[in-house]
Amino acid sequence: MTFRRTTIVAALAVLALYAGLLLSLAWFLDLETLRSAVRSERTLFSVRLSLWTATSAALLALLLGTPAAYALSRYRFPGREIVNTLLELPIIVSPAALGAMLLMFFNHPLGVWIENHIARFVFTVAGIVLAQFVTVLGVAVRMLKAAFDEAPVELETVARTLGATPRYAWRTVTLPLARRGLIAAFILAWAKALGEFGATIMIGGTMAMRTETLPVAVYLRLAGADIEGTVALILLLVVIGLAALFATRKLLGTAFRA
Amino acid sequence: MLEIEKLTVEVGAFRLREVSLTVARGECHAVLGPSGAGKSTLLKAILGVLRPHGGRLRIAGEDAADVPIERRGLGYVPQNLGLFPHLTVRDNLAYSARARGLPPNEFQPVLDELVAATGIGTLLDRYPAELSGGERQRVGLVRALAGRPRALLLDEPFASLNESLRRELWWLLHELQRERELTVLLVTHDLAEAYVLAERVTVLFDGQVVQQGEKAEVYGRPAAPGVAEFFGVETLQPGRIVGVRDGLAVVQVGTAELTAVAASGCANEVLVSIRGEEVVLDRGGGPTSARNVLPARVVTVRPGSPLVCVELDAGFPLVALVTRAACEELDLRPGVEVTARVKAPSVHLIPRGGVVGDTGIAARPSPPD
Repeated sequence: MTFRRTTIVAALAVLALYAGLLLSLAWFLDLETLRSAVRSERTLFSVRLSLWTATSAALLALLLGTPAAYALSRYRFPGREIVNTLLELPIIVSPAALGAMLLMFFNHPLGVWIENHIARFVFTVAGIVLAQFVTVLGVAVRMLKAAFDEAPVELETVARTLGATPRYAWRTVTLPLARRGLIAAFILAWAKALGEFGATIMIGGTMAMRTETLPVAVYLRLAGADIEGTVALILLLVVIGLAALFATRKLLGTAFRA
Repeated sequence: MLEIEKLTVEVGAFRLREVSLTVARGECHAVLGPSGAGKSTLLKAILGVLRPHGGRLRIAGEDAADVPIERRGLGYVPQNLGLFPHLTVRDNLAYSARARGLPPNEFQPVLDELVAATGIGTLLDRYPAELSGGERQRVGLVRALAGRPRALLLDEPFASLNESLRRELWWLLHELQRERELTVLLVTHDLAEAYVLAERVTVLFDGQVVQQGEKAEVYGRPAAPGVAEFFGVETLQPGRIVGVRDGLAVVQVGTAELTAVAASGCANEVLVSIRGEEVVLDRGGGPTSARNVLPARVVTVRPGSPLVCVELDAGFPLVALVTRAACEELDLRPGVEVTARVKAPSVHLIPRGGVVGDTGIAARPSPPD
């Protein structure tokens, strides 16, 4: 087999793998259950909650991650190497462990104080956003840093000789040049947050109509041996996720000139 | 306009050591040196990107040590020109006014003039990627000049162009510089570029200034063997001063004796540097004003364009550059006996072993251990 063919076969194998998984759902698909599941108040709540928390978590990750990634890309400062290494923490540690760590944090004195005086996180929507934020932040910063690494420092220097302050140069030169990476980072963070389960269930629990995101709902249905319901929710998750990703790509792709 | 005094900059293991140079208002000064000599490092320190570890930098009389890049009033064109790829030519040119929060028409008169002078008027709505190399160069220059900088810093801006385009842009820059009395600091490794554009030249080797002065002086009288080598001086032979006659030095080179105008205080051990253009060849011939008349034998003839390179044995290896017509007329072939004439002022002596001459010029330093 030629090199070209080998690589194409590998690509098709990826497709077959995921398509096979999706098609196997059809075996258990029951249209009536799907219809009622999609229409149920509880499911709609989960959809709204998932969209809302994932979007918040991804935006927060971008908000903190963008300046942090820029600093990691451009400056040498004490602690830089440690930050760089810790970014991998959410990838190494399983999401469930990360969620457990969050739960423990809110049970130790500082956490308890925060719970009592600032905001409640345990078993709340804020907790879910926090869990998803913590999970996706590392990857988001990694991707954002790569995006800034690709925007030439030289252009910032030129911008500054033309009279720009560092902030103005960043906003008018670096940011536009890194925008593809920024969009990619947001999309990935959002998608990862949407499907986040381990950390979410640890800190949010499984309260219907309160902290039940779509992945949690899938888990609950399966735990209740409701196979048709599980299939219906998985399909819903897949459709929403892919549609939203597609729409974001389209939208952001045309909003900025290539 | 630019006064640099004993500037020391450290970047990793590289060190720029005590570089001093002054660029007067309206002057073009070239910093010349091979790659890795520290030319770009010097520019970055002047721009404010790198912080010097020692020395002083003054721009228009003010100490610039704590002045941020954007307030130094320096125009900068890097080697890759640094055009903003996401902005049209028009927006690239307007960037300076916008960044300073000025109304866009503030620089418009200057900009219009420059756009007309460089002929980029038809390119305003294009993106940098849609421009040719020469067009990009012009846009880069105009953009840097639009904000009326106090001095223009150029980092090998013509390096990526073909020969004819490069010459065209040299003259364009030369004209702009003359007309507008621009203060320009040009960094280059191209001798011809420095010669065309600059009045004064600083030669940088291994992070140190090895020679500085009027371009003709630097070109004709390299102060150190490394400089002569870098300039491509054709004949570079070790010699020894054996005496002084009528105020002229007599130098023993190989088995021949040469007369040279020596700077006082020159060491005995010298490197004899003779440019190929300065060697005149003839067959026999009568009396001459040239002090050095050497019987020589042609060793090889290498055809070149436009000059032919003739390698001779005149008691030491001597290279002459002659026109093709002269080469044919004299019937220069290997083995032919000719007479080589070199005027005493064209025999330049470079001290060997780090001796400083009376011109205050240091010889090439030994490389750091």
